Amino acid sequence: MMKKILSRTVSIALAMLLTVSCLSGCGSKSVNTAEYLGTYSTDVTSLIPFYLPDTTGKKVISNVIDGLIETDRFGAFVPSLAESWEHNDDYSVWTFHLRKDAKWYDSKGAEVAPVTAQDFVDGMRFVADHKKTKSDMSIIKSVIAGLGEYYDTLVDFDDPNLAPSKKPEGPREKLEAQFDDTVGVKALDEYTVQYTLTAPVPYFESFLVTEIFLPNHKEFSDQCGTKFGTSPDQLLYCGAYILQSWQRNKEFVMVKNENYYDADKVSVEKIVLQKITDGAATVEMFKRGELTGTSLTGDQVEHYMQDPEWGQYVTLRDKSSVNFWFFPNFESPNSEFNAFVQNEDFRLALYHALDRVTIAQLYNPYDTEDMLTNLICPEDVCYDENGIDYTDYAPLKEIKERGAATYDPALAKEYFEKALSAVTDGSGNIRGASAGEVKMGRTFSFQTDGKLPLQLVYVHGASSDEVSMAQIIKMNLEEVFGSENIEVILSQFTGDKYNDVIAPGNFDFAYDNYSFKYADPLSQLDRLTTGGAVNDGRYSLPQFDALVKEASEKLVASERYELFAQAEGMLINGGYIIPWESGGGTYGMTREIPFTAPRGGFGLSRFKYKGMQLSEEPISAEQYKQLEDEFYEQLLKRNAG
Amino acid sequence: MAKYIFKRTLQSLLSVFIVVFVVFLLLRLMPTDGYFTRDDYQNMSEAEREMYLEDIGAVGNPIKLFGKFMVDLFHGDLGESYVLQPHRAISDILAEKIPYSLYFGVVSMLISLVLGLLMGMAMAKGKGGLPDALGTGYVVIVRAVPSLIYLFLLQIAITGLFKIPMMFSERNPVTWILPTISLSLSSIAWYAIWLRRFMVDEENRDYVKFARSKGMSDWKLMKSHVLRNALVPLAQYFPLQMLLTISGSLVIESLYSIPGMGGLLVEAIQEMDNSLVQVLVILYSTLGVLGVFLGDILMVFLDPRIRLTEKEEG
Repeated sequence: MMKKILSRTVSIALAMLLTVSCLSGCGSKSVNTAEYLGTYSTDVTSLIPFYLPDTTGKKVISNVIDGLIETDRFGAFVPSLAESWEHNDDYSVWTFHLRKDAKWYDSKGAEVAPVTAQDFVDGMRFVADHKKTKSDMSIIKSVIAGLGEYYDTLVDFDDPNLAPSKKPEGPREKLEAQFDDTVGVKALDEYTVQYTLTAPVPYFESFLVTEIFLPNHKEFSDQCGTKFGTSPDQLLYCGAYILQSWQRNKEFVMVKNENYYDADKVSVEKIVLQKITDGAATVEMFKRGELTGTSLTGDQVEHYMQDPEWGQYVTLRDKSSVNFWFFPNFESPNSEFNAFVQNEDFRLALYHALDRVTIAQLYNPYDTEDMLTNLICPEDVCYDENGIDYTDYAPLKEIKERGAATYDPALAKEYFEKALSAVTDGSGNIRGASAGEVKMGRTFSFQTDGKLPLQLVYVHGASSDEVSMAQIIKMNLEEVFGSENIEVILSQFTGDKYNDVIAPGNFDFAYDNYSFKYADPLSQLDRLTTGGAVNDGRYSLPQFDALVKEASEKLVASERYELFAQAEGMLINGGYIIPWESGGGTYGMTREIPFTAPRGGFGLSRFKYKGMQLSEEPISAEQYKQLEDEFYEQLLKRNAG
Repeated sequence: MAKYIFKRTLQSLLSVFIVVFVVFLLLRLMPTDGYFTRDDYQNMSEAEREMYLEDIGAVGNPIKLFGKFMVDLFHGDLGESYVLQPHRAISDILAEKIPYSLYFGVVSMLISLVLGLLMGMAMAKGKGGLPDALGTGYVVIVRAVPSLIYLFLLQIAITGLFKIPMMFSERNPVTWILPTISLSLSSIAWYAIWLRRFMVDEENRDYVKFARSKGMSDWKLMKSHVLRNALVPLAQYFPLQMLLTISGSLVIESLYSIPGMGGLLVEAIQEMDNSLVQVLVILYSTLGVLGVFLGDILMVFLDPRIRLTEKEEG
């Protein structure tokens, strides 16, 4: 009897297997070059177009909503919703003329309304209301006339802790209405929008590719209320694609809008972005044609480079505009380190002692030196009016050319000896340091004795790569300086790096990565002044501050760059910041033909699929090199011409 | 019986209430800078941060907030998520996700019940022989090897062999099969081994020996008597397991990209989405308590000898 049941079960199972194999045999493996099949790993919480803290949101919005301008595949600013534009002599008033055939569509593809200049005014209005969105106002608050005051007025009005006598007079609608009179963005007519700035901003165009300058159809967003941006039917679209569906934690589907004014430039007809958290699965899926591209982690790279079939397709992506750098803490609770960090020779000793190549190899075993950077601002992003890259200005050009040779143990020791004679008294006592317990954070503390070896606390994260990196740094520094002179204490942080380590200053030495907000060195250097937003080492260099200020007031790019370059050089040659490597530059395999999609270091354009071409076969490393060479040739010609 | 049910219901409600209240308070003890990313923290002024925290109910008098929460709950208003899916009604979020987890959970549980019980019976009947050895081998592998390993290998192997897409896709019916089977593998082992154990226990009972000596066939004996008795201790867990399938399988759902309930609670806690965490805690604790309760009742139905209350002395 049991046998009968068993045999029955087996036959059912076999039948199922056969059915499945029949069903599946029908699928073909050919890749559809009109569809882009991508992935994302972090979910967006909301698709309100004006606040996009992570890449996923940017990938979606950049394709479904256009701005005034965008970048082309060379990274140059070209018309998008604005056909043409001009500015006044001192770059403080910018006027944009919109194309007349752009329209808003809903998620079903039905036309709703034309895109007008008023939509850009309303976009700014939306961004300026802190209750509507958490947009990063820091870039534009002091740039657009009247915007900062308007924003602060609303914040003060809503602040429950502010005494009523100090608050602006309501009702809120009255304050909101002030926008039209006081803020420097106006619709001069139906298709002309004008921005009035508080000061000359020659690089204003690079702001316009960010999400803060997107248009908003006010009637629609008011109607949606708090539901705006929570699902595809709670948004309107004026971009190359329309968001057809959004299944949370699963996928986005965008389809080409055939009525788009530039529809003939769009060859990818459908974009499907799936949520996949497992890195190993994406490689498999790419090989089977289920994904257009995949990235490869360190060990996957090693494995596939040897693979006879797939090895040829492993390519290295472009560097991004994000830079990583190390920094010492000028306000460390550790008195030993504090005594040393004020000494420039010590900082330069660190600069020359760090073996960045060995450290970076952890993450990128191939082409490691390519990924290193010796600068704070990224290359290939800021070009002056003559087409010269900012990073070719003195002294940055020379700093760049040091390459990996910043690692010079002999030189490091020389600097260190000088520091020792200045900071110690010859018998191992560190001047200005005291013995005692040093607390860094809630759970970490150690004893100092005010004598050599210098105890230096390096803080790192919990992942195995971070731990390995920390150990390499410890070995590195102790080997160069001798463990009788320096003792690197490793401290692992739990929780959030910024909130638990950097903001409270619970470290002696650490690194972080920093993004580049717009195409001018001011975007980073302004944040590195005394008390600046990314001045995590908390140094104070008044000459640097003054130079940055002076540079920011120049109108001509070459004049700005000259001064900015000197300022940046000050930080690097003074050991205040030790640049490490560029972001991006990951390995992957893809069927996307490189250099066809828009390019750019920041903002939304670089995520657009408009103009992208796909290939049926994966791109080989050879093809990539060829296309890369062609591309840079063309780029040089353009910049020169 | 009715009196027992009433008493039990009250106890259950009290347990759930205590759990919810404690979690509510704990959530509000968390440091508030966790609600902001680094950029947000720097870009917002102190006033703005305060206002945001008040909006999402992270600060304020906890007792008052709790009261408001309970009142809303009784009106059927589960509230809105604040962090994971801002301005979306939690009832919508759950309505989207529960069907997936429920479908996969229930179907795979039925598969594991049928296959597991069959396997258990085969193992008990052929105790010491080949079926028993094979079954034990299966159970040991499935329980000892970390599930992520064999599930992932299975995913790659089967999808590669049959050329089906690796990820779950609603539109493609074929992709519903493998996750369901994968989900049931572990439970098959569980049911098989436990049923085998209880059946072997029963085999040694007097009534079995008696029935056998009277000429009853092994198969009839198993089906009508042994199985029924062996199921009783197992049945206790059926309602609980069935109800808790709603919570989704973290592993399977992330392997196959199924947008179910699997990672929701973990993500909600990590992102400090308090309103969502509270609703999920109520949901799971209610289901858990209910499941145990129903399990006890089910046992009584299966075995009338079981008494849940003290026998009243006449």
